[in-house]
Amino acid sequence: MLNLQDLYAMPLESHKVLVANRGEIAMRIMRACRKLGVAFTAIYTEEDAASGHVRLARETGGEKSLYRVSSYHDANELMSVADEAGCTAVHPGYGFFAEDFRFARRVMKRDRTMIFIGPSWKIIRELGDKINTKRLARSLGVPTVPGSDRPIYDEMEAERIARSVFEFQEQQGIRRPLVLVKASAGGGGMGIEEVYDIDVFRSVYRRIRNYALRQFKDEGVLIEQRITDFNHLEVQVVSDRTGRNPVHFGTRNCSIQSTGLQKRVEVAPGFAPGPITYSFDAAKVLTDIVDYSLTMARKVGYDNVGTWEWIVTRKGDPFLMEVNTRIQVENGVSACISRIRKDGRVIDDVDLLAEQVRIGLGQPLGYTQDDISFDGVGVEYRLIAEDPDNRFTPWVGRIERFQWKPQPWLTMLTHVPTDEPYEIPTEFDPNLALAIIWGKDLAEARARGLSFLDDLRLEGRNNAGEELKSNVNFLRANTERILRF
Amino acid sequence: MINISELLEEIKASPFREITVRTPHTGRVTFAGLAQGQEVLGPQGQWKERPGTLLATLERERNPKPICATEKGVIDRIYNELEGQFVEAGTALMVIRHMLTRDEVEYLILKKALHLFLAPERAKYYFTPEVDKKIRAADAHSVVVRDGMELMIMSRMKREVPLHYSGPEGVIYAVYFKYNENIDAGAPLIGVCPQDQLPAIQDVIMRVRTEWTEK
Amino acid sequence: MRRVRNKMDNNIEKRVQGLTDRLTYARDIFAGKHEEDIRLLEEKLAVFVERARRGELADPYNDVLGLEELFAFVEKRLENAVTPMDKVRIVRHPQRICLRDILENVYDNFTEVGGQDEHSLDPSMLIARAVITRRRGKKTYTQSVMVIGQEKGHGAEFRNGGSVKPWGNAKALHYMNVAETEGIPIHTYIFTPGSYPIEDYPGAAQQIARNIYGMAGLRVPIVAVISEGGSGGAEAIGLADKRLMLSHGYYSVISPEGAAAIEGRLKAGQRATPELIEHCAGSLKITAQDNLAFGYIDRIVQEPPLGARPYHFDFFRSLRQEVLRATDEVVLSHRKWPGFRGLAVARVRNPEANLDEMHTRWGLSASAKDSMVEHRQQKFLRLSREAAIDNRPFMAKNMAALQDWLSEPWMHVKYDFFRKHQRKISTFMEEMGNEVEMVKNRLLSPWYKMTRRLPGRQTEDKAQELTALSTWTDDSRRSRWNYLSPRYKIDRTLTCPNSESYGCLDLWGPDLFAEFAGVCSHCGHHFPMEPEWYVKNVFDVESVYEFNGEIEAGNPLAFPGFEERIAEAQKKNNTKSGCMTFEARIDGIKMVVAMLMGTFRGGSVGAAEGYKFVEAAQRAQKKRYPFLAYVHGTAGIRIQEGTNGVIQMPRCTVAVRRYVESGGLYMVLYDTNSFAGPVASFLGCSPYQFAVRSSNIGFAGPGVIKETTGMDIPPKYHRSYHALSRGHIQGIWDRRQIRANLKQALLTIGGRNLYYR
Repeated sequence: MLNLQDLYAMPLESHKVLVANRGEIAMRIMRACRKLGVAFTAIYTEEDAASGHVRLARETGGEKSLYRVSSYHDANELMSVADEAGCTAVHPGYGFFAEDFRFARRVMKRDRTMIFIGPSWKIIRELGDKINTKRLARSLGVPTVPGSDRPIYDEMEAERIARSVFEFQEQQGIRRPLVLVKASAGGGGMGIEEVYDIDVFRSVYRRIRNYALRQFKDEGVLIEQRITDFNHLEVQVVSDRTGRNPVHFGTRNCSIQSTGLQKRVEVAPGFAPGPITYSFDAAKVLTDIVDYSLTMARKVGYDNVGTWEWIVTRKGDPFLMEVNTRIQVENGVSACISRIRKDGRVIDDVDLLAEQVRIGLGQPLGYTQDDISFDGVGVEYRLIAEDPDNRFTPWVGRIERFQWKPQPWLTMLTHVPTDEPYEIPTEFDPNLALAIIWGKDLAEARARGLSFLDDLRLEGRNNAGEELKSNVNFLRANTERILRF
Repeated sequence: MINISELLEEIKASPFREITVRTPHTGRVTFAGLAQGQEVLGPQGQWKERPGTLLATLERERNPKPICATEKGVIDRIYNELEGQFVEAGTALMVIRHMLTRDEVEYLILKKALHLFLAPERAKYYFTPEVDKKIRAADAHSVVVRDGMELMIMSRMKREVPLHYSGPEGVIYAVYFKYNENIDAGAPLIGVCPQDQLPAIQDVIMRVRTEWTEK
Repeated sequence: MRRVRNKMDNNIEKRVQGLTDRLTYARDIFAGKHEEDIRLLEEKLAVFVERARRGELADPYNDVLGLEELFAFVEKRLENAVTPMDKVRIVRHPQRICLRDILENVYDNFTEVGGQDEHSLDPSMLIARAVITRRRGKKTYTQSVMVIGQEKGHGAEFRNGGSVKPWGNAKALHYMNVAETEGIPIHTYIFTPGSYPIEDYPGAAQQIARNIYGMAGLRVPIVAVISEGGSGGAEAIGLADKRLMLSHGYYSVISPEGAAAIEGRLKAGQRATPELIEHCAGSLKITAQDNLAFGYIDRIVQEPPLGARPYHFDFFRSLRQEVLRATDEVVLSHRKWPGFRGLAVARVRNPEANLDEMHTRWGLSASAKDSMVEHRQQKFLRLSREAAIDNRPFMAKNMAALQDWLSEPWMHVKYDFFRKHQRKISTFMEEMGNEVEMVKNRLLSPWYKMTRRLPGRQTEDKAQELTALSTWTDDSRRSRWNYLSPRYKIDRTLTCPNSESYGCLDLWGPDLFAEFAGVCSHCGHHFPMEPEWYVKNVFDVESVYEFNGEIEAGNPLAFPGFEERIAEAQKKNNTKSGCMTFEARIDGIKMVVAMLMGTFRGGSVGAAEGYKFVEAAQRAQKKRYPFLAYVHGTAGIRIQEGTNGVIQMPRCTVAVRRYVESGGLYMVLYDTNSFAGPVASFLGCSPYQFAVRSSNIGFAGPGVIKETTGMDIPPKYHRSYHALSRGHIQGIWDRRQIRANLKQALLTIGGRNLYYR
């Protein structure tokens, strides 16, 4: 039986990757595998049989490359298929098992060991815990949102901290200070409340504490400053299995979001200090967050791709929010502005997914930060069947026409077939496509983006005969706002 | 009111239902040694606490799982060629010809007699926690629904939306959806019997009871 | 169809009927054995009947007398061949004496209370206020007594064979308390094959437990007479100062059929062979003689050959003498004046004495009642010690005794005297402290005001506190478990039993048995874990100190083949018995724990387990620690130990009662499956019983219920949630929270002093 080191030592061609995801990301992983000469196995559910990733697997996969499973959420199905198909590694994509340290641990620790293409499970666990991440950041002098960095159990102490957070904000000149009280064991927006006045703090604190005790059997509570006016920035980090030489692929700005705080437009780089004037030193902020991110990556021995998420206040203060220990949807927008100098030649069609698979399977990175350069501006639109005027409610129905004009500066990533009608499955996120647009500068990127949206044809009907609703107009309207604070 | 006699005749003309037994997930199949033409039993006991006839075993990740008959019937087809094979989820293992029981006939006829509340969209449906609690504690008959009442949760696209009941006031007489199962738009979710029609519905049941003989 | 006109007169006819009954009886109780003797009687009787009918007999009275003598002779001869199983058939026979026969023939008058005939809360439990009239010289004395017992009603269906429902036992306890109020003795008559095993309130097991607990402290004399002593049902009214047993009765942990089903590993519906049943009846040592030898009964009341039937008036007379003697003895031995007492007791004990012509008043003074209850409790605590193997070194045993002797006075000083005064002292100190603080604040206030005016340093501090790493020492969120089930090493998946209804995905063993602590991450179902899991994960690390580990489960009945099975269990579990007793701490709170391990022969309780439980309760009492019974699992009393096991029910309950009454906090926590005897006694009597999720609690399992009552019970009938709804337990805990819940319970139920009042 092979152990992990044996697997890392194997040449790429001997590997077979289980693509443990669906839709657009599954297709990107399959293409990356083909580019590297790595075999793959894809999975699908009955609901999803018409998805583009199934067709791609059928057309380009080799033997034992496609299996129907009961659910993408059932790890047992993935393991069962991986064994049957003879896979040596698992790529989780994003969502599903991407940040599940237990899944990563299982892939590695089972009798028939496989490689989990992502950071090692201990790192996922460590950085998946927000308190832990915050404490790690503070121990390295990386700025985090002011407030407690450990669960508070004592009411008097909680009130004292809340009072400090209010006073601190007043000193910062914030006009309407807010304090966030949240259950330390919670997550996903549950057990969080804002406090605008210290006098109501105690009642809110008790409510959250009791909720936490009931829900999570742990009455620990976190108290933080609530920051309302900010931009959402990201740093793309890549590192190989040695964990010693992390590099970054620049920054992204993901501030254009739906009301449910889901990203709709992503731009690389994070700010444009030339064409746009900011009230702070934007170039320095970008350098700082990149440095901070790499410091942390080095400290934990980060060993795959990952994203450090930051919020930057109007005053230009960056605070670390969290670390996403996975490949993100919007990785392509960083890739399109990046170039790598490797083995004496320049690669200008950088593919971060291929990089992830390659280094995930144990290959050395092969270049340093000095070999990476950036050029131009990338914009990614997420095309979604939804109603932006009605709280971004998903639209369900059948897509009858989906066309766009191919351009050298445009990459379309979609699992929706363009040559036949497609019923949107109700099981998953209603994402239809990602459009990545490159321009030599901000103005060109914006112009190209608008022209793409103008040329796009997206039509369909639902059961009631109503016309498809999409976010195209929302995207068009927001293109103006790109990179402005 | 519906014509029960006609309906009953219609059902009597073809009193069977074909049940295809499918694998719930991937794994390696071992059949239990049954052959075509053999009779199998559904769950037994007063509370259906004893599982039906063992049809096959599906082993995945060293966990052999029995696949048992859910209804009484006769094996019509059996795909013995799958013996020892690794199969995908949802692979057909056999087809069982099942003679409709009195309850099922009742169910079929009730579906025509009751007011059906239909699924507005393809989604998974759940009762709201309060209703669910009531149903689990007693049974569906104890729940009275009113027009506009928040009855269910519709889950699709990772979003949960409350669903309000619309239709006549009455008790929930039948539930047509299962946990974690996608329901197509237009499929019935529940059958509601308005209070004043209860005697008529009970009459329907009585007639099925007397006129349908189980074999 | 009569060929000849019947020439028998009524008197002869009656006597013939009597002989026919005796013949049927003999045939029934021997179940096919002694065929020749019975055929002989049958033929003789038939010949006599035939001839008497025809009027061929010159002196039919003489002949019938001869026939009766022959019957008596044969019965006497067969008496010597009666086997234990025959005795089982004797007590079950409809012709056997019933409680009503006793009320009519032993007592002088009675009034049934708590129901009448079939119009009763539970007709199988009969309660009567009875009267005994005694004469001394010319004076007559009338004495009252509360008679409580199961009524089989000679097979009348509504009596349910003497199988008492939970509310029947509750009725019994109620009238025992009435007797206590009235200060009259209680006579209990045990005629039960076992209790009716249903869980409806108050619950078979829980009510029996309450009865035993109640009787352990009842302040009136109790005399029990055992005819059919079927396990839990018998104990429900069996904890007495004097226990008499009818010579043809049986007293057993389980019916021989039940034992045979277990021994033969039979599935529901299968029947054991008569040979196996007979073998089990013999091995279980269920007869009066056996139980007298063990010391579990005090005296045997001799019955006529082949057992007492309602026409055996001599027997009723001797039974009357015996119950009077027993009652008198209990009363007299606790009277004051030692000199008189000895004389009086000796007089009563004289077998020649006619107690109807002596009078002993049955009232007792308060101190005599104390002494009686103490005596009763001590008596039960002493029982069955020999049935366990005590391997503790001689020195250790005696050192323990010596230490007790030395430390007892110190403990008294420490807890009863010092505690009281300590509180006063600390209150005084607190008040002093407040005063000092006030003065200090007043003196230093100018200085505080000055320092508060330096803003620069303060904001820096604030920013520092809100943005820099704080110290946090007790991050206990990770690697929470000190012990993992060895099953976590196996790479396989498991199906949650609730997956059908809740849609749980298969669980990966290494996750389930390590991080998840055996809990389904979707629905919360608890898979059983090893006893070690609790020992190592519930209590403070390194705080567990085991004691009495040397006491070993044995084979007191020399039950065939059982030694090997015990040895096997000992090897598998690496312990000497199914009960581990230890001292441990939770967040520094010390406690004594007795753990019944479901992995050791199903967690069954025998003499060794009972011994250790009693010792643990006494240790907790001595040290003034809270006492926790953690039931990892128990299938009931260990049947292969027979009454040595059953007697643990009253014994351990007595120990628990003494502990609770001295002010201790006794808690029970059930896990996996807990059934039968232990639940129906020393566990069920705790006022604070909790259960771990997914556990089952009850009196008898579904198979036994089906067999004894013919009822199918719904699945999940015994689930802890049902037990909670029925009021049997106080709460259900998640396994991962046991430690936190225990601590909370100790603090809230135990109060500020934690345990001792």
